[in-house]
Amino acid sequence: MTQRVARILVVEDDETLRETLTEVLADEGHEVRGAAHGYEALERLDEWSADLIVLDLMMPRMDAFEFREHQRHRPDAATTKVMVLSAARELASAADRLGADAWLAKPFNLADVIDSIAELLPRSA
Amino acid sequence: MATQRATGSVNQRMSGPQETVAGDRPAAETLTPPLLRGEVAFRLLVDAVEDYAIFLLATDGRVLTWNLGAQRIKGYTADEIVGRHFSAFYTADERDEGRPMRLLAWAAEHGRFEDEGWRVRKDGSRFWANVIVTALTDEAGVPYAFAKVTRDLTARREAEEQQRTLLAEQRARAAAEEALLARDRFLSIASHELKTPVASLQLVADSVARARESGRLDDARLDTGLGRIARATRRLAALLDELLDVSRLTADVTPWELAPVDMVALTDEVIARFTDGVDDGRIQLAAPDVAVISGDASRLDQVLTNLVDNALKYSAPPTPVDVDIREVDEGVEVSVADRGLGLDEASAERMFEAFGRGSNAEHIQGLGLGLHIAHQIVSRHGGRIEARARDDGPGAVFRIWIPRDGGAPA
Repeated sequence: MTQRVARILVVEDDETLRETLTEVLADEGHEVRGAAHGYEALERLDEWSADLIVLDLMMPRMDAFEFREHQRHRPDAATTKVMVLSAARELASAADRLGADAWLAKPFNLADVIDSIAELLPRSA
Repeated sequence: MATQRATGSVNQRMSGPQETVAGDRPAAETLTPPLLRGEVAFRLLVDAVEDYAIFLLATDGRVLTWNLGAQRIKGYTADEIVGRHFSAFYTADERDEGRPMRLLAWAAEHGRFEDEGWRVRKDGSRFWANVIVTALTDEAGVPYAFAKVTRDLTARREAEEQQRTLLAEQRARAAAEEALLARDRFLSIASHELKTPVASLQLVADSVARARESGRLDDARLDTGLGRIARATRRLAALLDELLDVSRLTADVTPWELAPVDMVALTDEVIARFTDGVDDGRIQLAAPDVAVISGDASRLDQVLTNLVDNALKYSAPPTPVDVDIREVDEGVEVSVADRGLGLDEASAERMFEAFGRGSNAEHIQGLGLGLHIAHQIVSRHGGRIEARARDDGPGAVFRIWIPRDGGAPA
């Protein structure tokens, strides 16, 4: 079983986190795009479809909750898996309210991010 | 006749001026004209009233009549009090000040006097009284006696005080709860803000290690990683500075260094620091050549930095941030105006409290302590700081005023 190459959208307002995650996931063989907030993420999804969205909770212009509202109404993105990464307190309940498939609290180990993503992606035989 | 001595006419008009009663026991009969039948009934009514002390005073202040209410409220029987001076009902302090006779003089001049205050019972205990003194005058308008009606409002006053205490307690509890909520909000913001650069540091370190393991770590990648670590570290240091600034101001450990400060030169320096970065050209300064006040330059630098940083943070490029410096009212005024999110009235009031960030600021980076720090520093210079919405469209204006010579922090 090998892991499928996935299309991953990293939505994160902190530039360092966003750029580093994008780079690392690209090293893992994924096709990765970045967005600084929910609004930009929706723009990315207009032109490109993702298998997984890595989503920060609190962002300027459009936060995770508002983004999810919009995302759910897009036929091509409604069922895309979502992993929440955040430093917010009560992250678990926020992730639950968001209907996220997984969540990781900041700060996190890179290995944990990679493992969690691997678990969320379908495997090809 | 004891009953006659203990009562008096309530006629407001009498045939002539009465003699002032003299001696230890007043001959109240001398004041009493023949009573009409209706007056008898009225006197009996007054005698029987228990909730009000109703009695007459002679013009020199001696008690002429007494009723049941007076006995109940003040504790004296008619025999004990009639003929004595009414100042016995006042506290020693008020007697010493001559207040009782001043009140009668006032009533004589104005016809009536109403008063609320502590009065003294026969046993020395105090009660809260409402007192109305009415001058009874003859046809020439000259008072021949005073009617005094006293109510015991102690119970009402105690109830009011209880109510006040209760309200004060409720307010204190609400304030304490709000302080807890504010602290909670702050901890939420602080933990989120502090964890973000820490997450960056960890991720970048992990990613560099992973790149090395997989043989992908070249010089360019290492440089990028080190640059990101430096950026996250600066961010973390700035947040910690902000936290420490607040605690330093609160604890007041660092001495203030007062010296002449040219606010124009200082503002120039602050703006130059910002225009090194991405906000080039957004800040527009209008100022005289110099505007000197007495103050602590490094702390005023902090105020200006916070205000400019705030304006840039809460408005989007390329909208300008206007900084205006003017000499006003024996001092210097600096206003910083942006065209950003603006602020509502409720936010403007809370803006300078610690953790009192505006309601529209949830997603703005930083701990939200900058304006609180600015407020503390400006106040210590004897100055003023205010925030308001722009009159001419969206955006906010922050204005500080520092007195020219007032910069002597306590």
